[in-house]
Order: sequence, then C-alpha cells, then structure tokens
Amino acid sequence: MDPKYMMPKTLEEALAYLDQRGKDIQLLAGGTDLVIDLRRGKKDKDILMSIGHLKGLQFIVFKTDEVFIGAGTKFTDIVENERIKKEVYGFWKACKSVGSLQVRNMASIGGNICNRSTAADSVPPLLVLDAKLMMISKNGNKIISLKDFYEDQKSICENEMLYAIKFQKPKKGEGMGFEKLGLRKALTISRISCAVSIKIHEDKILDIKIATGALGKYPLREPAVEELLKNRKISEMLLNEALQKMSCSVEERLKGRSSMSFKKEAVKGVFKKAFRGAVKGAYGNEKNSPDY
Amino acid sequence: MKKIHLTINNKSYHMEVEKDLRLVDLLRDQLFLTGTKEGCGEGECGACTVIMDGRTVQSCLVLAFQADESNITTIEEISSDGKLHPIQEAFLEKGAVQCGFCTPGMILSAKALLDKNKNPSEEEIRESISGNLCRCTGYNKIVEAVLLAAEKMKDGGTL
Repeated sequence: MDPKYMMPKTLEEALAYLDQRGKDIQLLAGGTDLVIDLRRGKKDKDILMSIGHLKGLQFIVFKTDEVFIGAGTKFTDIVENERIKKEVYGFWKACKSVGSLQVRNMASIGGNICNRSTAADSVPPLLVLDAKLMMISKNGNKIISLKDFYEDQKSICENEMLYAIKFQKPKKGEGMGFEKLGLRKALTISRISCAVSIKIHEDKILDIKIATGALGKYPLREPAVEELLKNRKISEMLLNEALQKMSCSVEERLKGRSSMSFKKEAVKGVFKKAFRGAVKGAYGNEKNSPDY
Repeated sequence: MKKIHLTINNKSYHMEVEKDLRLVDLLRDQLFLTGTKEGCGEGECGACTVIMDGRTVQSCLVLAFQADESNITTIEEISSDGKLHPIQEAFLEKGAVQCGFCTPGMILSAKALLDKNKNPSEEEIRESISGNLCRCTGYNKIVEAVLLAAEKMKDGGTL
C-alpha cells in the first residue's frame, strides 16, 4: 500500500485532519516500529500523518503529585529528565531499556503504547502507576485507563489521538522496581518484563501493584500475586510463595505455548528482582531495607 | 513526492523525495554517501547509525521526510582534508576494525558520546555503543579505542 502523506504544522491542524479522515489515517511519530511495519506491508491505511515533529505533544510536566508526559515525548528526553529518574525510578529504568540509544532518540512514549505490543517496556510501569491516557479530538478530550485501552480496541475513536499520559508519582514509603529479560543486555526486545510498585510500613506491605509484559496478549496486572502479598509482612518465605503463585499464573496463561515452560520459571527471577528493587525504593536506600 | 531541505555534512540539499524513502536510502542511493551501511533494516544492529541534530539515529528507521530541516552527520564528514579524526585513528591503532561493517555506525556513536562527555568511563562507553552490534571484535578493542580517542581529543586532537 502506498499511503498519501500529511505533515500538519500544528496539533490543531492534525486534529482537523483526523476529524475529516480519521479512519484512513495512520499516525507516525518516531516511526521506530511503524517504518518496519510499513515496509512489510502490515499497515493498510491510505494516509500517513506525521506528528513526530509537533512540539505540542512533547513535554514532561510535574504538577504537585501528578506527572504529565506528552505522547510525542521521545524516550531520550524522558531518560535525561532528572526528576523522572529520582521520583519515578522504576518507570525511568523501563524507558532507559527501550530499544537502543538510537531508537530512544526517535521513539515516542505514545508510539510505544499505541503500537500495542505485549513487550512494550514503558507499559508495565505505567500499569502499576495506574496511568491514564489523555485522548484528544477536535470535539473534546477524554481520559481512559491503560487497561481499557488494551482490552477494548474500540475505546479509541477514529478521530482521536493520544495527547498525553498522566500518573501520580510514588510518595514516601512507596517504591517502584522494573526488570526486563531479553536475549541481550541491551538492544533487546523483552521476553519477560515486570514492574512492581509497593507501599511499605514497618516491613508490612500496605499495597502492591504488579504488572508483567510479554506474558500474554498485552501487558497485564497480576491480581493473584498482588492479593497474596497485600497486608503481609515481608519475608523470604512470603517472597517464595509469591514466586510460586506468579509461576502458576504464567503457566495457566501460556498453556499450550512453546515458551511456557521457560517463562514460568524465568518469571520468578524477573519478578524477584523487580520486587526487591521496589522494596529498596520504598525504604529509600539499601541499608534500611530488610535482608531477605 | 515531498520537497525537503536537509543539511548533510555541512552541505545544504533541497530534494524531492517519495514519502516512504528511508534516510539510509537517500544517503546511499541518491547522494552516494555509502559510508553508512544497512545491516538489518530493522533498527536492531546500528550499522546505519548517523547523527541527526546532535543525536544518533538508525537511518533505516527514519523516513527521509522526517529529516526535513535536520542537520545530519555521516561517517564521511568526520575526517577532514584527508586527515583522520582522532576516533578513526584510535580505532585503527587499537585494532578495533576487523571487517569494518559496524565501524561507521560505531564511530558515530562514539563521536556523539565524546561530543557531550569528554571523559567517559568504560561503562559509559559500553552504554553509548550498546546500540551497535559487532560480530568480529568482541567489543573490547572498540572500548579501548574510544578511551584512547578521548585522550587524543583532550590533547587537542579534535577536528
């Protein structure tokens, strides 16, 4: 397919085009996933609309406890933001692991989400942050959860585009961890990824959110493991229980797939590391975190 | 077709391109700047690395029209008047070039690092080239070469 092409000068112009021809338009931001798909003939929309240059979609804003990241923001800009690194470390770590430096210099966080890959690295941390997607159109705005975005493809209208992602940053006593397992140490697609957000008080887990990537059709929360861990005191034994629960969940979910026997074991290591990272973050530093 | 303007290696180009023309194809096939290589065509090897507006990118993943009004540096630019850039000298001195296919991309990744960080640690160097695969050298010679290049450039060897 040889699409026509559009390069709007402003966000308003882009929204106007979407309003007129939304169902025929394929949005192009950084292009690091899309260009490959276009060359393989995987995309069949008539029109290619480039939005990667629109500065109105590129921002990182902290407002009291909330963080807003423009959908067109490149991963390098997220990684180079010192506040993101300091205050939302698990999310920062995930963004730093996307592709390679060259890819991060072009790739946008909006593209990473909208590409709907189960291995998208930025999504598990956003899931545990309960991130919301801010959609815009010529007619107005709306907010949807990441979960709804994945589960219901019709949640996005044809004349809408992703404007920004927003989430509450972790508070004192809360920590975030992220781990990724790939075939290489860098420049690798996740075979398994895991994000953990934990709230701890005096060794007791007050709240925990866990999300994994590349272990299902799309990145998912892990409610069974969360329930097991909530309101319990951290210990080696508890962690082992959680590892078993995670492994069983993955085994059930991937039943019949050739990757299951590997992934149901490997997920334990990935989850353990992410969990420990979150605990360290919650305690503020390694010295105070329990030894388990 | 779309009219674009790019600055490539300090030279201004006004061109008309097909919307699905990749930057790597524009450089190699239309401008005959064949120093930039295509390895995988999927952004997973780094052989096609160029510097665009100060940042390295995979030119096989950039559509030419996305580079409109950009400033691009390819491997051809970094030597001057027949004299090698300190990074190129260092690569040769340290044996960091075997088949040479990854080398243009590798050198540009090193240049992008050294332009921002004149005194990188080994870890920082390894991270800066982590988007460039090499099947020949095992990377250690390349890291040594970048360390040597940093020394050379500190001594005023920068072109």
